[in-house]
Amino acid sequence: MDWLENELKQALQRKDPSADFEARVTAAAKRRRKVVPMPRWLAAAAAVVVITAAGAGYRYHQGQVAKEQVMQAMRLAGSKLNHVQLQMRTRP
Amino acid sequence: MKTGRAMAMAWGMAAVLCAQQLKLNLDHLAAKASDSVDLSLNNSLLQFAGKFLDGNEPDEAAVKKMISGIDGIYIRSFEFKQEGAWSQADLEQIRNQLKAPDWSRIVGVKSAEDGEESEVHVCTQNGKVTGVVILVTSPKEFTVANIVGNVSLDSLSDLGGHFGLPKLEQQKKKK
Repeated sequence: MDWLENELKQALQRKDPSADFEARVTAAAKRRRKVVPMPRWLAAAAAVVVITAAGAGYRYHQGQVAKEQVMQAMRLAGSKLNHVQLQMRTRP
Repeated sequence: MKTGRAMAMAWGMAAVLCAQQLKLNLDHLAAKASDSVDLSLNNSLLQFAGKFLDGNEPDEAAVKKMISGIDGIYIRSFEFKQEGAWSQADLEQIRNQLKAPDWSRIVGVKSAEDGEESEVHVCTQNGKVTGVVILVTSPKEFTVANIVGNVSLDSLSDLGGHFGLPKLEQQKKKK
């Protein structure tokens, strides 16, 4: 078992870092981008813009549906009235 | 006191409008119909739709002008594949609401040949048209259009021409 113990000792023995280790770590830390937290007012403003735009879009959609219904109603009523008038005029 | 008068006037107006707006209990026909149209457009919906009508488009401009005096449009139209789907009682429940002195039938056409009946009733109050009902029935069709408010029949008829149908005057000239 001596050879195994020797192998383990060698593998686990303390090794000093290279001379430039500290410099490399410091440089890497400096390179790291600084994260700026988003201000709360900006998040709230974005939410307001999204909600307003969604509301306006929904209102526009509802308006288009209402417009189509009115046009359909007028189209139907107008055509039926024309039909009645046509019947009157074609009667002997 | 003023509030009381205003409320009484509002109730009075509501009563007048109710007289012009028919009760259309025709839901049972929808199940039998091959095609049906059910449109109930009240004043607020008409005014809302008016904001989206394009004044530069001839059809939409004409409709926009018309709906400014209209309080509601109520249409029920059913087409059937087979005859006998609607009964005379369905017709009578509408006719019974179109009573004098407010309502008067200005047109009534009946064709014995194809069993088609067409009627136009007008509600007038103080010399002003405040409601119109167009009733068109045939063995395979039942249509009732109720327009509440000050509506011009000429303008409505013109709309029929605008929407791709030939104008009657033009047709007459061709004959």
